[in-house]
Amino acid sequence: MVVTGRAALLTLLATVAVAISGQIGSTVTAIAVSLVVLIVVVDVLAATSPARLVLSREGDTSVRSGDSASVSVLIANPTGRRLRGSVRDAWPPSSHASPRSRELLVGPGERRRVTTTLTPSRRGDARSAGVTVRSVGPLGVAGRQRTLQAPWTVRTLPPFHSRRHLPGKLSRLRELEGRHTAMVRGQGSEFDSLRDYVPGDDVRSIDWRATARDDGVVVRTWRPERDRRVLIVLDTGRTSAGRVGDTPRLDHSMDAALLLTALAGKAGDRVDFMAYDRAVRARVKASGKGSQVHRVVEAMAPLEAALVESDPAGMVGSVMTQGRSRRLVVLLTDLNAAALEEGLLPRLPLLSSRHLLLVAAVRDPKVAEMAAERGDADALYRAASAERTLSERHRITAELRRAGAEVVDADPERIAPALADAYIDLKAQGRL
Amino acid sequence: MTIAAPPEAPPAPVRPGPDTTVRRLWRAFRFPVILLTALSVVAVLLSLGAERFPDGLLEPDSPSPDGTRAFARILGERSDVTVVRDSGAAVDAVERAGEDTVLLVFLDHRLLPEELDTLSELGTDTVLVQPSLRSLAAFAPGTDVTGRGEASEPVAPECPLPAAEAAGAARIGGTPRFDREASTELYSVADGVVSQSCYPGRNGSALVRVDSPHGGATTVLGSGTFLTNDALDSDGNAALGLNLASAENVVWLRPDPPTQVGGATMWELLSSGLRWSLLPLVLTLALLALWRGRRMGALVPESLPVVVRASETTEGRARLYRSRRARDRAVAALRAGFLERAVPRMGLNSDSGPDAVIASLAARTGEDPGTLGPLLYPGPTDPYSADDEAMLRLADTLDGLARRLR
Repeated sequence: MVVTGRAALLTLLATVAVAISGQIGSTVTAIAVSLVVLIVVVDVLAATSPARLVLSREGDTSVRSGDSASVSVLIANPTGRRLRGSVRDAWPPSSHASPRSRELLVGPGERRRVTTTLTPSRRGDARSAGVTVRSVGPLGVAGRQRTLQAPWTVRTLPPFHSRRHLPGKLSRLRELEGRHTAMVRGQGSEFDSLRDYVPGDDVRSIDWRATARDDGVVVRTWRPERDRRVLIVLDTGRTSAGRVGDTPRLDHSMDAALLLTALAGKAGDRVDFMAYDRAVRARVKASGKGSQVHRVVEAMAPLEAALVESDPAGMVGSVMTQGRSRRLVVLLTDLNAAALEEGLLPRLPLLSSRHLLLVAAVRDPKVAEMAAERGDADALYRAASAERTLSERHRITAELRRAGAEVVDADPERIAPALADAYIDLKAQGRL
Repeated sequence: MTIAAPPEAPPAPVRPGPDTTVRRLWRAFRFPVILLTALSVVAVLLSLGAERFPDGLLEPDSPSPDGTRAFARILGERSDVTVVRDSGAAVDAVERAGEDTVLLVFLDHRLLPEELDTLSELGTDTVLVQPSLRSLAAFAPGTDVTGRGEASEPVAPECPLPAAEAAGAARIGGTPRFDREASTELYSVADGVVSQSCYPGRNGSALVRVDSPHGGATTVLGSGTFLTNDALDSDGNAALGLNLASAENVVWLRPDPPTQVGGATMWELLSSGLRWSLLPLVLTLALLALWRGRRMGALVPESLPVVVRASETTEGRARLYRSRRARDRAVAALRAGFLERAVPRMGLNSDSGPDAVIASLAARTGEDPGTLGPLLYPGPTDPYSADDEAMLRLADTLDGLARRLR
């Protein structure tokens, strides 16, 4: 039950009437109060029941972080009475639903569309929390209120800030293909075609058999391998929860993973994606041709950093069961000495025996700033602590490299292009 | 909250159950119990130490400047002083006291006319201190208030009354320190009445003695302030008071203010309608609260992500170093950081020994290898972790070396 300001006004009038009634105060009180109660009860009973409304939804189901989505709820009134009142389509606070509530007037047998604009500030799934309808009686004194369920989910996709690096990296990739004939002779490079020798070509690539048949000197050309497999593993354990700048490490890693997915897709490689902490959180399998970016973005959207220690043994096991063919395994994690030394390093030989591991980590610029602090003893303690962190990072990087893994360690704004460069370099060297 | 053991508990074989229960209760409640006990003890001790004195103008038990405790004490050494608080008690006391009695009446405006008549009919010697007009009519007919004295100097008696003459000049017209506004009333007696007037002012006298119509003498004083603790020690004030009250028994009447009896409360004076209107008023407030306070649907919960900086562990370690003054660790970390950057730059690797590093560094920077040794590879006693200054010096030196290597 709800009351309006008119109900309060009615009782205020009753108060005045009783106050000036003098000696017959008790009688006037009884009459006035029961009159007010009667009016309220009649109005509540006369209000259209919100429970009998029929709700349905339509609108956007996904939105890129920073954009707005509009979601509508269709309110049908199958009763024979008019519904007057207000309605609120409730969403979690981070969805910033607007307007918060609005007036509602649905005639008998009519339908109304109520559109709410969501501007989510957080990645992930936002679920509708219910549609609250307040129906006021014909006198406008009191009414009924009911929260109805009209389930709908709007998925906020991670922003793909590093998209701007994509054209540059793609042109590097093309350059690589064009230049490959003369400069690169990596093992495993595929034979592409024969063409005439031009000065500058590697004499070792001259195909003597073809030269014998032809007038001029003919060289073989190679092109970079295609249809290689890339597996991106996103660590969602506790180390990914830490904020670098204003954004969790997980989101920086996602950005880098998306650029790599887009680039590898264009380069003709097959990209799988997996998110792991102590269990597989999300998984996307490569499916034929076409870009994987949309599917990976969808899989990433609801991921949150879990406050648990990641299980590298389980992660390695999960990677090994994905298939026997060689892949580039890109592990996006933090170069945390304690976690990696105990977990990953002992299992690295097993992984490296079949796959190539590339570890990519976001470096915190704050630590480098701290290491440069000077002035007084307190600043030196901070600098010393930062030096210790940096040197542990160096040590684990060196150990990983010794064990045959590639390491990319870059600042948040550099991690995505750096990872893309590392991928292109590996491709150029024919190591995929 | 009693912690006593159950009365029928056997003393010898203590079962673990109740025992642990009692212990648990004691552990849970011991702090409040001890606190309450301590507070009570402190409160009792404080109340023992602090005696509360009544206060008020001319109050015989009040030690404050406007009280008359000093005069009452001195008087008590010479006479039998009975302090009474209402006229009935005064009558009883006077009748019990016998012949040689003086009745001192203060603040008699608090007495009803009938009470004044009853008192005047006792026929004892009476001293009225600044009496009301009604009181004058009862005790000293023919005496009237004819003026107000503001004399701040002692006034000479100028009369044959032995009590006043013996006392000499008194500040009967004087203003006390605690009340600059107080003034003395001056009296004149109608012609034909036998009287003695002392301490004359401009329009009358501050002390008048007449015979009471019911026997005894009535002494009227224009002010009682010369008897207060504040003024008693100056001039002849004390002497005048003692002389006037010189009798075997002194009945000291300082009536309490009369208490109100009966009367209607505010609530009873309101009309029935106004009283009843409270009910719809409460209803109005309730409806207003319901109108403004009713939410459109429940609050929507949302689990929020953890907010922790990635550099938190590094900062935490820095705070730990600082709180423990771990200079040795800090110095070692600074050296390690420097070597990590400098060694690859000099074309060496991490397997190079200290001697090679020092030699290479000395060659590149021109420093003395003898000073570089303790700087980079200290022995068991490290001079650079001795105090903060040394640590700062080390950091500066390392920074300088790094700049020259660039």
